[in-house]
Amino acid sequence: MKTLCVALLLAIAGAPLAAQQELAGRVPPEIAALVHQLATDAAARGLPIEPLMQKAIEGSAKGVPADRVATAVRVLLAQLDVAAAALRQAGSSRPDTDAIAAGAFALNAGLSAQQVTALASVSRAPYSTAVTLRVASTLAAMGVPAAETVELVTQTIASGGPATDVLGLPGRVMAGVSQGQGRGVTPAQAAAGLARAAAARANAPGQNKPKPAHP
Amino acid sequence: MTDFHPQVKQLLDGELTLADLPPELRAEGEEALRLLAAVDREPITLPAALGARVLAELRRRAEAPGFWRRLRLRPWTLVPAFAAGAVLALLLSTPAPTRAPAAVTVRFVLFAPEAQQVALAGTFNQWDPAATPLVRTGAPGVWTATLTLPAGQHQYAFVVDGARWVADPAAPAVDDGFGQRNSVLSL
Repeated sequence: MKTLCVALLLAIAGAPLAAQQELAGRVPPEIAALVHQLATDAAARGLPIEPLMQKAIEGSAKGVPADRVATAVRVLLAQLDVAAAALRQAGSSRPDTDAIAAGAFALNAGLSAQQVTALASVSRAPYSTAVTLRVASTLAAMGVPAAETVELVTQTIASGGPATDVLGLPGRVMAGVSQGQGRGVTPAQAAAGLARAAAARANAPGQNKPKPAHP
Repeated sequence: MTDFHPQVKQLLDGELTLADLPPELRAEGEEALRLLAAVDREPITLPAALGARVLAELRRRAEAPGFWRRLRLRPWTLVPAFAAGAVLALLLSTPAPTRAPAAVTVRFVLFAPEAQQVALAGTFNQWDPAATPLVRTGAPGVWTATLTLPAGQHQYAFVVDGARWVADPAAPAVDDGFGQRNSVLSL
């Protein structure tokens, strides 16, 4: 037990130290100090710190004033907190940092916390929560409305195919838009068509349907 | 490693027969059954004297002082062993997520005929606008770079002439939090 506590403390203390080293020379000192403080709090709450560092580095590289970089980093931290809560709502008592980062990105792409919870609830092996959320956020970024995004990903998982079915969704939506270019097919329409096809597969007799995660 | 269709896996588990498979999966099902047959082994026949030798060895060890004689098994001493066994069984029975390739090679293309230089900056190179320059290739005004990136989600933008940050017109994009857009790449 003592070993576990020491390892946890080292992880919490070590992560912000790594953050400080990564930020050195890349961001102004006041931003480095702020990110160090926020990263310490974030690590203690089990949140990933890499996205916070990336946002600070990105803002500084783009020549954004320090106060706006600070605001963007704080907003991102709030999204990480909301994502972690949404994942806990889905039944994961201690969500992994990859999934939290993917959840925060999904929120930034336009999904709601409830939709993150819904996607995390349907996502189970062989579909990792982080991958499911990344795919959903990519679809949202492509212009597929959030509700249609959730429907498409949910139906694809329910159809019981391999994980590559979910990974391939953005490409298939893009292909659907390209093929229907003459008819003015939108990403939302392409996604709706794929969701209908997935639902038909999910309801086909003899289909290997995944068991519900939370009966 | 071969990754069979879920229905073919059901066939191997005996939950379906070959006739239950849709026609397009039957060839895969037959191949899977052939592979299974190939790993089937002849029944193992133990030498007749083996049982007697094992019993003799057990008797010899029971008479010799050693670890097993010192160890007194009480019901609660088995609890950690059962717990470890249960954890191992759970780990072995949980299907591992299908792994995406560890790295993927991607070609970035930007049409910028007026540009003097174009670079790529993103989460994969610490947003360093000098790290990944694009080169002019093919048709006039076409800039390209080919990178091998780890699987996962990446955000990026093109940097034109060292100052202008431009989202990739061919990729989805999200708000970057600074009033601009970042392109998104999921691998």
